[in-house]
Amino acid sequence: MNVILCATRGGEASIKTQERAIEMTKERGGRLVFIFVSDARFLDKYSAPRVPGMDEEMKNMGEFLLLMAKERAEKAGVESDYVVREGDFKTALVEAAKEVGASLIVLGRPADDNLTTLEYLEQQLSPAIKAETGIETIVV
Amino acid sequence: MRQSVLRYAFALLCLLCAVGLLVPGPDSAHGQGDGQEQSTLLGFLLTEQGQAIAEAEIEVFLDGEEEPVVTAESHEDGLWEAALPRPPEQSVEIEVIHPHYNTWTYELEPEEVAVLSQGESVNLGEVNLDYSYTLGFWVASLTFLAVLLLIAFEKMPNATAALFGVAVVFAVTFFGSKLLSDLYVFNFERALTYINWEVIFLVMGMMIVVSVIEGTGLFQWLAFMAYRWSRGQPVILVVVLVIITTLASALLDNVTTMLLMVPITLEIAIALNLPPTSLLIPEIMASNIGGITTLIGTPTNILIGAYAKISFNDFLVNQTIGVLLALITMTLYVLWHFRAVFSQVEKGISPTLYAKLEQNAKIKDINVLRKSLLVFALTIVVFAMGEGLEMVPAVTALLAATVMLVWVETDVHKMLNLVDWTTLVFFMALFMLVGAIQEVGLIGTIAGFMGDVVGNNLYAGVFVITLGVGFLSFSIANIPLAASMLPVVEYLSGNISGAVSSKILYYGLSMGSAMGGNGFLIGGETNLMTAGIAERAGYPLSFGKFARVSIPVTILTLIVGSLWLLFRFEVLGG
Repeated sequence: MNVILCATRGGEASIKTQERAIEMTKERGGRLVFIFVSDARFLDKYSAPRVPGMDEEMKNMGEFLLLMAKERAEKAGVESDYVVREGDFKTALVEAAKEVGASLIVLGRPADDNLTTLEYLEQQLSPAIKAETGIETIVV
Repeated sequence: MRQSVLRYAFALLCLLCAVGLLVPGPDSAHGQGDGQEQSTLLGFLLTEQGQAIAEAEIEVFLDGEEEPVVTAESHEDGLWEAALPRPPEQSVEIEVIHPHYNTWTYELEPEEVAVLSQGESVNLGEVNLDYSYTLGFWVASLTFLAVLLLIAFEKMPNATAALFGVAVVFAVTFFGSKLLSDLYVFNFERALTYINWEVIFLVMGMMIVVSVIEGTGLFQWLAFMAYRWSRGQPVILVVVLVIITTLASALLDNVTTMLLMVPITLEIAIALNLPPTSLLIPEIMASNIGGITTLIGTPTNILIGAYAKISFNDFLVNQTIGVLLALITMTLYVLWHFRAVFSQVEKGISPTLYAKLEQNAKIKDINVLRKSLLVFALTIVVFAMGEGLEMVPAVTALLAATVMLVWVETDVHKMLNLVDWTTLVFFMALFMLVGAIQEVGLIGTIAGFMGDVVGNNLYAGVFVITLGVGFLSFSIANIPLAASMLPVVEYLSGNISGAVSSKILYYGLSMGSAMGGNGFLIGGETNLMTAGIAERAGYPLSFGKFARVSIPVTILTLIVGSLWLLFRFEVLGG
């Protein structure tokens, strides 16, 4: 079965990515799986204590965002599901892609068209994932 | 078994600390004689601003001799006493030496010499020494500035930056001054006297108490209830969230409160199709403003309370209405600023999303919540009664922490992990660093300059402190700023009639440092951490977006706070 894995968050830019992934799933047929990679390690750079349970809260927030994406997909008649992972983005993405048997990974274009991020996504992350898993990655 | 022993050992340590803080120290009267009559010279050494000078060396020369017959050292209150081994015959000369002040010499008048010759004492009264701006002054001052910059630009964690500053000061004192005596700042023993242990133990005790409550899911539940109570009406939602955040921040740690409330607030905003910033910005501001209502609400209040002996009740009585007025001002501005988006709210959310919200906001352990809230409520009562019992707040916090450990959360490893040792180390290093700039005369110089500007005008004092500290807090970390401003405020208060007893300028410092933290996104960790979480959810909170609301709100709230303080102490009196 054709499975598209779409890495997403909330926000206007993410909604565009979700809509594009929904369209592509409709065109190709199959199932759409949304993924949110939660990473609360950025909080460590602050002097305030790391709140116990903060990782859990971030994951809950991710699940909520993906539930909304799922509702959006189902409204468009696309079968969908979601997974929430923790830690390094690339590692989590690769693991999830293998697990769900993804045939395509969809990533969102940076909201502010940040060229450095875009370059990283297109020229470093996508080829690295392709090399490791053989799965095509596109930035929409 | 090992865990149980550790638990009781920690409880015992807390109790010992509490008892140690509660029991009054020995009588600090100096130089009690043994009944034998002896000629004694005494006096007080003060800075140009009237603050006591400790550890100055006093040498007394009799009858033109080249070697001093006696040497003495000034105490913490500036008092010095020198008992003469024999009565003088012709003359007495005194030399006062301190690394950071110009040497003061004085030859006693013939009539004073005559008094000493008869075996009686001579009191030279208060002597003000002039600062000597040594190389040590510049090293300590520039190091302090560098630490502020390192913290402001996030080049180092706060604790590391403060420790780095202290290390520079000690390195210069112990290595540099051997080559060039002018580099001397202060020794380790002197540095330790600047650490306020009352603050350290109060912060530590409250960390244990609060962390238990935070782990129960109470804040997430409250945020969800805000959504339910408001029935999704954004105006009501903002007001309820502001009230909840204010109350939580007044009683607990505001950074943690916000961290726990941000994810669920984001979820509510997204579900209602509101920009999350429209709920997060008022929450951030309420948490920064609300904390100043109580002694334990912000670290700056803990510092100010311990320094100026302002009690839990004093903060509550003198700040609450000012805080409420500032919150009303802030809320009205936010509602006006976001009026367009609030009118486009979604009418309801899907049952699936509602169920998920409810699930994310579940209380994790109702039994722990009940117990911890009971302990916390009793703690607040004891804080309020503490003044009558002559019990310092640190004792209350330590007792509460002990009860939590023995009765509510008995895993000692978990409890000690919840103590933010980094912050405690930061406080200790910061106290020493502020001590260094106080020792070399930087704070006295700033105080003198501000004293010239403010004079004895109360209105000028309140506005200069509240607005001045407020604007500086836009970008400077408010804890080191408040810590370094305390002696300045003490000096300014001494110049203004009634300000010493009312402590109005200390309240101004409290309001300025907390409200000023709302000015820029970089003004406080609460702001930055909230922005970080929002960004990870896909809703970046930019500097500009924040500043469009925060700058006018901060200016307005600082003015409202200042006016309240003047009304409270000038019109209502007391």
